[in-house]
Amino acid sequence: VLHTTRPLHTTQQGLAPLPPLPEKGGEVRHGLIPEEFFQFLYPKTGVTGPYMLGTGLLLYFLSKEIYVINHETVAAACILTVIIYGIKKFGPEVAAFADKLNEEKMSGALAMKNEAIQALQTAIEKEKKEQWRVEGHSYLFDAKRNNIAMLLETNYRERLLMVYNEVKKRLDYQVAMQNLRRQKEQDHMIQWVEKNVVQSITPQQQQDSIAKCILDLKALSKSAQAAV
Amino acid sequence: MNLTFFDQFSSPSLLGIPLILIAMTFPALLIPSPGNRWITSRLTTLQLWFFNLVTKQLMMPLDKKGHKWALILTSLMVFLLLTNLLGLLPYTFTPTTQLSMNLALAFPLWLATVLTGLRNQPSTSLGHLLPEGTPTPLIPALILIETTSLLIRPLALGVRLTANLTAGHLLIQLISTATTALFSTMPAISLLTLLILLLLTILEVAVAMIQAYVFVLLLSLYLQENI
Repeated sequence: VLHTTRPLHTTQQGLAPLPPLPEKGGEVRHGLIPEEFFQFLYPKTGVTGPYMLGTGLLLYFLSKEIYVINHETVAAACILTVIIYGIKKFGPEVAAFADKLNEEKMSGALAMKNEAIQALQTAIEKEKKEQWRVEGHSYLFDAKRNNIAMLLETNYRERLLMVYNEVKKRLDYQVAMQNLRRQKEQDHMIQWVEKNVVQSITPQQQQDSIAKCILDLKALSKSAQAAV
Repeated sequence: MNLTFFDQFSSPSLLGIPLILIAMTFPALLIPSPGNRWITSRLTTLQLWFFNLVTKQLMMPLDKKGHKWALILTSLMVFLLLTNLLGLLPYTFTPTTQLSMNLALAFPLWLATVLTGLRNQPSTSLGHLLPEGTPTPLIPALILIETTSLLIRPLALGVRLTANLTAGHLLIQLISTATTALFSTMPAISLLTLLILLLLTILEVAVAMIQAYVFVLLLSLYLQENI
């Protein structure tokens, strides 16, 4: 019966998101028979039911020669031994290998996603730090302003000192000039006085003074004895 | 039913309907196609990994032009592997025991490599008929020998595969018949024969895989010479 109220193929099936795969396959007993079969027979025949069925079937086939034991049976036994041994021994390893391949694929993609998230978080933190830095800018500018003011002050004082020194140099020069002039005037005056005095000594006066000196010396020589 | 030794090598038919096509195409059912899931099931993951490995190994010595052969060589490899391995199960028919099928696989592929070589680089392909450094008097004889070896390649490919598999299957049949026949009279000897059969089965599994690989490898080698 076709339910015509249900619309058929309204969307493209291939584009719809797929349902997730089941985690594990169906439960199987002895690698061949699904668990549901045992559960199906359990209410009527209990736990041993399916096994009795299997044994009975096998014996029926053998006794009625529906299945004939020939050389293929022996070959079957051998190949089944090899297969079961292989599966039991290498099965878990192969399954782990397949899981590992899938895991690597997933982890690659996850790693990419996590790295992207990490990079973005680092960028956010850096941005926050930059914003914090901006808050401190006012202090920075104040300090800079102070610096510049100090520099200007220093410069001004240096120039003031320079001016003072220059002015003092000029004044010192004037003072030195005055002193020099005074000195020169003094010397000149002394020289002139001496020259005039020497000029004013007449020859008569000169002879008189020399005679006097000789008399004085004679008088002194009388009183003084030469010390030996 | 009572089987003769020829029954496993006869082309299967059911009520007069030939089943050979089913026998040849059944192995393809065992390889699920990946579909459009990103994380695939274990079987699909393993088979994808295996195909990647095989293709890479086969195509590595070839240059870019030879990579056109990747699909056919890999599918040939997988087909031979599966048919050989499935033939080891009891009461199964192995298509690769038939010379007709193996020659049908080997001959066209070999001829394709030879014609590719003769068309694209005729002098190099013909040059392969004379190995380097042969003394001058030997040249005519050697050319004849190399030509024979070239022409016998498809036969060799086909017959190698057929002979290996047929011999293996026949041996399994004979030794298991011996085991069955000895069981009633000398059970101990029968057990020894069973042990031999076990070892032979392991060998046959190996041979099945190796023969598939050798077939495809040789074809890729012929391709390398000629591409």
